[in-house]
Amino acid sequence: MRHPTPAALLVLPACILVAACLILPLAFVLAFSFNPARPGEIELTGELTIANYWRFFASPFYWKILGKTVYLSATTTAICAAFGTVLALAIWRAPASRRGLIVIVVLSPLLVSIVTRTFGWMVVLGDNGLINAILIGTGIVGQPLQLMFTNSAVIVGLVHVFLPIMVLPIVTALERIDPAVPEAAGTLGAGPATVAFRIVLPLASPGLIAGITIVFSLAMSSYVTPALMGGPDSGVLTTLIYQQFVVTFNWQFGAVLVAILLATSLLAVGVTFFEFGRRSRAWMSR
Amino acid sequence: MTADRLQHACFSGLVWMLYVFLLAPLVCIIIVSFNSEAVQSFPPTGWSLRWYAAALNNAGFVKGALTSFLLAAAATLLATPLGVMAAVGLWNGRWRFKPIIEALFVSPIIVPGLVSGIALLVVLASAGIRQAPARLLIGHMLIVLPYVIRTTLASLLQLDRSLQEAAETLGATSRQAFFKIVLPLIKPGIAAGMLFGFILSFDDVNVSLFLVDARTMTLPISVMSYLQYSFDPSVAAISSMMIALTFTLTVVLERWFGLKRLFAGR
Repeated sequence: MRHPTPAALLVLPACILVAACLILPLAFVLAFSFNPARPGEIELTGELTIANYWRFFASPFYWKILGKTVYLSATTTAICAAFGTVLALAIWRAPASRRGLIVIVVLSPLLVSIVTRTFGWMVVLGDNGLINAILIGTGIVGQPLQLMFTNSAVIVGLVHVFLPIMVLPIVTALERIDPAVPEAAGTLGAGPATVAFRIVLPLASPGLIAGITIVFSLAMSSYVTPALMGGPDSGVLTTLIYQQFVVTFNWQFGAVLVAILLATSLLAVGVTFFEFGRRSRAWMSR
Repeated sequence: MTADRLQHACFSGLVWMLYVFLLAPLVCIIIVSFNSEAVQSFPPTGWSLRWYAAALNNAGFVKGALTSFLLAAAATLLATPLGVMAAVGLWNGRWRFKPIIEALFVSPIIVPGLVSGIALLVVLASAGIRQAPARLLIGHMLIVLPYVIRTTLASLLQLDRSLQEAAETLGATSRQAFFKIVLPLIKPGIAAGMLFGFILSFDDVNVSLFLVDARTMTLPISVMSYLQYSFDPSVAAISSMMIALTFTLTVVLERWFGLKRLFAGR
């Protein structure tokens, strides 16, 4: 007998953990969002209503928050896509000796807590921060500029958080390219920009698309950066969710917001899956 | 040829600016942490270690650090056996529904941490479990599990299956073959997954945000709530210590396993 422990038995405990502690609770939250809103009530009941969804979709206030969240995430994703491609090309082209160092520089921020990284931007962008010190020191401005607590500050913080995540799938895609292909293009007379834009990037596009999907979905659900760096009126979906669950204790309406957040992110993932077919799918599951 | 060189210079310039962008906030934190003033001004007017002392005397930070450490250690130790078993199962198994199981194991990475935290909060509250340590532990096991599975599976896929077969041909039982041959060979992968899972769990905010309570607070969350009310350099000091810890572990991971493999899979 080759396998005294069948493979299925080995997989089972981890499957149970994920199913019982992630998939089941997600279904539970979705069910919860159809219960009538009663602040303080935390039990699932049999009464079903769509009043909570109606409250969200009938109000321009909530539409504005959703719009702002999508705007911040989409802008972040676009900037990350452009700069992530540049960094991925830099890693791909670097000689093996320098590669390890570049990878550490690019990826190590991923391992530093989001709170720490956001705090770093508060130090850089604050009234007494690095940028204002340089601007005042060189006499370009007399008064410190208001850089913190703006939408731009949130976007800068989010780009910093998600740039390394964008780089990874692009590098993976670049590494699959046969080096002879860009070389051949060069031999046939294409300049470096032509090679990059006409040959290399199209071949790396599945990685880029995977990165865009992942970053958009993560940016939609980021809480720390908008909460710490956004202005006083800077409601985004996640800060609203926090408010519902922790401050006003309206869990049923909070569950609606979670469902909408999840639906928006999954919509992005879904579009990628069906639009860009199997190649991207293979990259996503890595 | 000059146009080519110009393009090349622009590209390099942009890449260097991006390196600065990535590292600037971290470097600024470290500089500010040695400030002797109570305001975070740039450049610091004097140097001192007083904010390190202040951070280490802040009961909230110390208790948070202890909580985060115990939580990350417990979650890693509990999730690792499950992850290794699952990876070995996936390696041996030949089922038609394998992609579904693989998707299930990736799902804790794909579902936003904030959402899985809330989902756990709601379902556990309904089941009468209101203790923060219990729900944090479950949430953090979900953080660690996918990475242990990923690194272990990556090591297994590089393994020559004939080694196990040879051991069995030579009379070892499959149990012996696994524990004496396979397990020692995939140890680096398991260790890398554990270390990475530990770091992610220690640094986590999104999953924990809804699972902590006033008595059980993790370090990143206590730092975050401190930041919402005050802005003195003791946060810079505690953050610098966290950066130092992470950087050391990052270099170890890069040497040991390769950061890129860790994040990007095989």
